[in-house]
Amino acid sequence: MSQPLYMAAVFFPLLGAFIAGLFGRKIGDRGSQIVTCGGVLVAAALSIKIFVDVALHGEIHAFTLAPWIQSGTFTVNWGLQFDTLTAVMLIVVNGVSSMVHVYSVGYMGHDKSIPRFMSYLSLFTFFMLMLVTSDNLLQMFFGWEGVGLASYLLINFWYEKESANNAAIKAFLVNRVGDFGFALGIFGCFLIFGSVQFADMFHKAPDLANLSFLFLGHTLPALTTVCLLLFIGAMGKSAQLGLHTWLPDAMEGPTPVSALIHAATMVTAGVFMVARLSPMFEYAPMALMVVTLVGALTAIVAGSIGLTQFDIKRVIAYSTMSQLGYMFFAAGVSAYSAAIFHLMTHAFFKALLFLGAGSVIHAFSGEQDMRKMGGIWRKIPITYAYMWIGSLALAGIGLDGVFGMAGFYSKDMILESAAASSHWFGHLAYWLGVIVAFMTAFYSWRLLILTFHGRPRADAHTMEHVHESPWIMLGPLVPLAIGAIFAGWYADDWFVGAARSNFWNGSIFVLAQDNTIDKAHFIPEWEKWLPMGFALPGIIFAYVFYTLKPDLPGKVAKACGGLYRLVYHKYYFDELYDFLFVRMASRLGRIFWVGGDDGIIDGYGPNGVAALTGRIAKYIGALQTGYVYHYAFAMVIGVAAFVTWFWFRS
Amino acid sequence: MNFTSLYTAFPEISLAVFAMLMLIYGVVRGERSAQTVGIASFVAVLSIMIFVLKLGFIYSPGFPKLHISAGCYGCYAFDYMFIDDAFARFVKVILLCGSALSIILSWTYLKKENLSHPEYPILILFATLGMLLMVSANDLLALYVGLELQSLSLYVLAAYNRDNAKSSESGLKYFVLGALSSGLLLYGISLIYGYTGVTKFTSLSKLFIDMHQPPIGVLFGLVFICAGLAFKVSAVPFHMWTPDVYEGAPTPVTAFFAAAPKVAALAVLARLLIVPFGSLAHQWGQIIVFISVASMLLGSFAGLVQSSIKRLMAYSSIANVGYALVGIIVGGTAGMQALLIYVAIYFINTLGVFAVILSLRRKGKSLDRIVDFSGLAKTNPLLALTMVIFMFSLAGVPPLAGFFGKYFIFLAAVKAGMMPLAIIGVLTSVVSAYYYLRIIKLMYFDDGINIFDPLPEFGLRIVLAISALYMIVFTIWPAPIIDQALIAAHSLTGG
Amino acid sequence: MLQAFIFYMFATVLVASAVMVVASRNPVHAVLFLILCFFNAAGLFLLMGAEFIAFILVIVYVGAVAVLFLFVVMMLDINFVDLRKGFRRYLPIGLAVGLILLVQLALVVSSWAYNPSSLSNTPILNSPDVDNTRAIGRVLYTTYLYPFQVSGLILLVAMIGAIVLTLRHKPDVRRQRSSQQLDRQIDQVMDVRKIEPGQGVNL
Repeated sequence: MSQPLYMAAVFFPLLGAFIAGLFGRKIGDRGSQIVTCGGVLVAAALSIKIFVDVALHGEIHAFTLAPWIQSGTFTVNWGLQFDTLTAVMLIVVNGVSSMVHVYSVGYMGHDKSIPRFMSYLSLFTFFMLMLVTSDNLLQMFFGWEGVGLASYLLINFWYEKESANNAAIKAFLVNRVGDFGFALGIFGCFLIFGSVQFADMFHKAPDLANLSFLFLGHTLPALTTVCLLLFIGAMGKSAQLGLHTWLPDAMEGPTPVSALIHAATMVTAGVFMVARLSPMFEYAPMALMVVTLVGALTAIVAGSIGLTQFDIKRVIAYSTMSQLGYMFFAAGVSAYSAAIFHLMTHAFFKALLFLGAGSVIHAFSGEQDMRKMGGIWRKIPITYAYMWIGSLALAGIGLDGVFGMAGFYSKDMILESAAASSHWFGHLAYWLGVIVAFMTAFYSWRLLILTFHGRPRADAHTMEHVHESPWIMLGPLVPLAIGAIFAGWYADDWFVGAARSNFWNGSIFVLAQDNTIDKAHFIPEWEKWLPMGFALPGIIFAYVFYTLKPDLPGKVAKACGGLYRLVYHKYYFDELYDFLFVRMASRLGRIFWVGGDDGIIDGYGPNGVAALTGRIAKYIGALQTGYVYHYAFAMVIGVAAFVTWFWFRS
Repeated sequence: MNFTSLYTAFPEISLAVFAMLMLIYGVVRGERSAQTVGIASFVAVLSIMIFVLKLGFIYSPGFPKLHISAGCYGCYAFDYMFIDDAFARFVKVILLCGSALSIILSWTYLKKENLSHPEYPILILFATLGMLLMVSANDLLALYVGLELQSLSLYVLAAYNRDNAKSSESGLKYFVLGALSSGLLLYGISLIYGYTGVTKFTSLSKLFIDMHQPPIGVLFGLVFICAGLAFKVSAVPFHMWTPDVYEGAPTPVTAFFAAAPKVAALAVLARLLIVPFGSLAHQWGQIIVFISVASMLLGSFAGLVQSSIKRLMAYSSIANVGYALVGIIVGGTAGMQALLIYVAIYFINTLGVFAVILSLRRKGKSLDRIVDFSGLAKTNPLLALTMVIFMFSLAGVPPLAGFFGKYFIFLAAVKAGMMPLAIIGVLTSVVSAYYYLRIIKLMYFDDGINIFDPLPEFGLRIVLAISALYMIVFTIWPAPIIDQALIAAHSLTGG
Repeated sequence: MLQAFIFYMFATVLVASAVMVVASRNPVHAVLFLILCFFNAAGLFLLMGAEFIAFILVIVYVGAVAVLFLFVVMMLDINFVDLRKGFRRYLPIGLAVGLILLVQLALVVSSWAYNPSSLSNTPILNSPDVDNTRAIGRVLYTTYLYPFQVSGLILLVAMIGAIVLTLRHKPDVRRQRSSQQLDRQIDQVMDVRKIEPGQGVNL
C-alpha cells in the first residue's frame, strides 16, 4: 500500500474535523455528520488494510513528512511510523472512533451544536493517531497534548453546566502534572541519548543502562529516572492512582465521549507509551517495579470504589481505571504484549458497555443514578443483550481451551504472566489481580441487576417513555459486540500465542530473562484457574445481594462502617487534594495577588505609571493652544535651541 | 543636459504633462469633468507607478550592479540635479501607490460633501509630482523646488473645503507655518551654499569627506535644513501644525497627508543626511536623536487624551515618524532598509485607517470622534474586523505587518548598539498601544448608538480590502518588499 | 570710501525700515516701510554689481507684491490692534530668542572666509564682457532648466490654488457676454407693435 493511503488513515479525521469545525454552519448538521463519519470510516477501513499489511505480512513503514525543529544538535521531524504496535492502535482508535462517530449521530441528534461535537470527536481521533504513529517522543507529546485538549473540549462540551466546566478544568490540570513529568522525561531523553527519535534511543538504550547523573547532590540512575518521569506522564493520562481523580469527573461529558476517550483510547495512551518504550523500560527494572505496583494498586483501589458507586457511568469509569491498572502491571512484569492485547479487547467491550450505558441513559431520559432504574430488561432487550455481552467480556468469562469472551484471554494472560514473574512484585500483582477479578464480576452484575432487573424505581412518567434506542445507535454496537465476543479468541494466537514473535516483529522488546509470557505457560494449573474461580462467585454474590436479599447491601455497609465510608468516598482522594493543593495554592495565590501584584507591582507599576501617563498626556495637550504664533514660536525656539547646542559643542 | 534626461525623468515629465492636460480638460469641460478627471488621474498615477516598478526591474537585476560609486549610468538627469536610483524608485512606488489610493478614497466623500471639482485630483497630481521630484533631488535647489511644489499643493488641499471654517483655518495655519519652515530650509541651504559654493549632493558629499572639521556655518545650515524638513515630517518640536491640520482638513486630504508627503519628506531627509552629510553623522545624529525621541514620547503620550480620531491619527503619525527617524539615526544599509520597510508598511496601514474613518457615516454625516466607533462590531462586523487589523498592526501586534516594521527598526537599532533608542521605542509603542486598543475595545465591548450607514461604494471598499490584505500578506510573503528595500538601501549607502 | 558710505547708508535705512515694518502701528505705514526696505536692498545689490537682481527686486517686489499688499491692507477691515494684543506679553521672550539667534549667526558669519575654490563651482563665468543679466539668461535655460521649469509649475499651482479657494460662481449675478451681444439680431430682441390707445398690449 502506498504512502498516501497510510497518510490518509491519519489525516482524514483531521480533514473531517477541519471541515466540520470551520464550515459547520455552511454544511449544516447533517453535512458535518457525514463529513466526519465518512472521514473516520474511511480511516478505519484503511486501518484494517494497514493492520493486514503491517502486522500480518510483516511490512514496516516509516515516512518523514517535514522538518519540524532544528536547533543545534536537536532535530525533530514530522514523521509517521507503522509497525505492529501502531497498527494495533490504529485498529483500536479508528475502529472504536468510527463506531462512536456513527453512534453520536443518533445520541447527539437533538443537540444544538452538532458540527462542533463531530468536529471535536474527529479532532481527537486525529491527535490520537498522531500519538500512536509518531516516530519520536516530541511528536508523541504533540499528540499527547492534542488529545488532552480534545478531551478538555469534549468534557466541557455542555459548557453551560458548571460541573462540566469544573470537571474539564480538573482533567486538564491533573493531566498537566503528568505532562510535566512527560516533558521532563523528554528533556532527560535528549540529555542521555542526544535524540528523541525512537530508533536512536532504542539503539543506545542497552549501552546506557548503567549511566547515572548527578542531581542536587544525589546520584540518580539515568535511565530509571527518565523512565519514571515518562511514567508520570502515563499515569496522568491513564488515570493511575494518584493522578486518577479526573477520570470519574470526566463522565460529565456526553456518553460517546466517555466511550471513546475515557475508556477505549486516550486513557490507554499511557499503556501504549510504556509498550512503545519497552526497549527503555526493560533496562530500568526499578521503573518496572514502580509501574507494576502503581498498576496493581490502581486496579484494586478502583475496583473497590466501583463496588459502591451508584452512578452508572462512574461505575464503568472506575472499572476502566481498574482495567488500566491491569494493563500497567502487565507492562510492569514485561508482558507488554499482554497489556496491548488487553488494551485492544478492553477497547471493544468497554466502548460497548459505555455506549450501552448511553443507550440506557437515553431510555431513562437522562437519568444516571442506578437507584432510580430497574425493571426494564423486557423493554429494551437489545441494549440488555449488549450489556450482558460487555459484562461477560469484562468479567473475563470463558472456559480455557474451549471458548471465552474477549476479556477472558487477555486478562488471564496478564494474570498468568504476573504469576510467572520472577520478582516479588509480580506475585503481589497476581494476588491483587485475582481479587480485582472478583470485584469486577461483582460490580458488573450489580450494575446489570440494578439497571435492568427488580422493580422499576423510576417514576411513572419516565417509565412510560422508556424505549429502545434507534438503530443508528444500536447498529454501531454490533461490531463492538462481535469484538467483545470474538476478539480474544481470534487474536489470542497473534498477540500472546505461538505466532507472536512474527506478529510483533520487533516492535516490542523483552529481555530474555524477563520473558514472562513464555513462562506463563508453565505456571501451576491452579494459578490458571484461580481468576475464573474468583469471578464466578462475584456474579453469584451480586445475584444474592441485589436480587435474593435486597436488604443485604445496606446491612453489609453498616457492618463495615468506616471501611465502607472510606471506599464510598473514593478513599477521600479529592478531599485530600483539595486540602493539600487546591486550598494551599489558592491561599498562596491570594497572598501574591493582593500583596504582591495589586500592592507592589500594580501600585507602582501599571496603575502608577498609567496615572502618570495620563498627567503627562494632559500637560502635552495643554501645549496645543491652536494659536499659529505659538506654533511658530515653538519652531523658532526649537531651531534656536539646536543652534545653541552646536554653538556650545564646537 | 541632453535628451537622455527626458527618458530618465520620464515618469515625472509624463505626470506633469498629464496634470496640465487634465487641467485644460477640466477648465474646458467645467464642473462636469470632476468624475472623469478623477478616474483618469487614478489610472494615470497607477500606470506611472507600474512604469516605475518596471524601471526598477530593468535597472536592478541584482543589487551589486547598483553601486553609485560604480557609475550609475543613466541615473542622472538635468545636469546631475535629478537622480533616479533604486532608493528613489522604491519611495516613488510607495508615493504613487499612496496617491492613487488617496484619489479613489476621496470619491464618495467629495460627492457627499459637495466638493467634487476637477481641481482636487489635479492638486493631488501636482503634490505627487512635487514629492517625486523631492525624492529624486540630487541638488539642494532641486530639493527646494520639489518641496515647494508639493507643499503649495498641500496648503491648497488642506483649505479645500473653503466654506468650512476649520478647513480654511487649517489651510492657513499650514501655509503660514509651512512658509516659515521653507524659510528656515532656504536659509540653511544658503548657509551651506555660502560655505561650500556647491549645492549638488554628490559634490557636497565629496567635500565633507575631505574636510577634517566642517566650518560651524555648515553645521548651522544643517540645523536649519533639518528643522525645515522636520516640519515636513511633523517631528517634535516642529509638529504643532499636525493635529490642527489633520483635524481641519477634509478627511481624504488628511489621509493623503498622512500617507504620501510624510514618506516623501522622510525619504528626502534620509537621502540628505546619508548622502551629502553622511560624513557628518555624529553632528546631525544628536539633533535627530533628540527629535526622534521627543516625537516618540510626545506622539504616544499626547494621543492618550484625544477625542477626535483625526487628531489621534495625527499624534500617531508623530510617534511613527519618531520610529522611522530611528532608522535614519542608525544609518547604513541596515538602517535605511529598516526605514524603507517601515514606511512601506506604515503608509498603507494609515491609508486603511482613514478608509475606515471615511466609511463611518451616520445618516450621511461623517463621524470623526473616537467614541463614534462604539458598537461598530455589532452593526458592521466586517468593517470592525478590518479596523482591528489596522489597529493591531499600528500597535505592532506580532502577526501583522506593523509588527515587522517596528521589528526591523528596533533590530537595526540594537545591532548598531543603540539600545536606549530601541528601549524608548518599545516603551512608547506600549503607551501608544493603549489608544489603538481602546478603539478595538469601543468597537467590540461598548454600546453606542449602533446606527451606521451601510458600507460605502466601490472605491473605499477597494482601499479597505487592499490595505487589510497587505497587512496580512506581508507576514506570509514579505520577501519582495524586504529585498527591494535592501536594494534601495544599497543604492543610497553605496555599500 | 564713497562706496562704503553708500553701503552703510543703504544698510542703516534697510535695517531701520525693517524694524519699522514690525513696529509701526498703522498697517499702511508698515507696507510703505516694506517698500522702502526693498528699495534699499536693491541699492545694496546694485553696489555689488548685481544689477539684474536689483531691478527684479524693484519691479517684482515693489511694483507688484508690495503694492498688492497695500491694496489688501487698505481694502480689508482688519483690526490690527486686536492682532497685536499678545505683542507685549511675548516681546521679552521673543526678543531673547531672536537676540540669541542673531548673536550666534553674527559670530558665525564673522568667522566666514571666502572660499576661492567655491567660485569655480558656479556655472556663471565672472568675466567682464558678459553682464550678469546675460549670464543668468545663459544658464537659466540650460544648466538650471530643471528648477526653472519646476518653479513654473509651482506658480501654476499657486494660481490654481488661488482660483480654487476664492473663485465663486454666482448664478444670480448677470455678466456681460460680448459675443452674445454681438451675435444678436434685431428681430430676436425687438418686436414692434401697434397699440391702440386705451387697449394695452399682451407681451
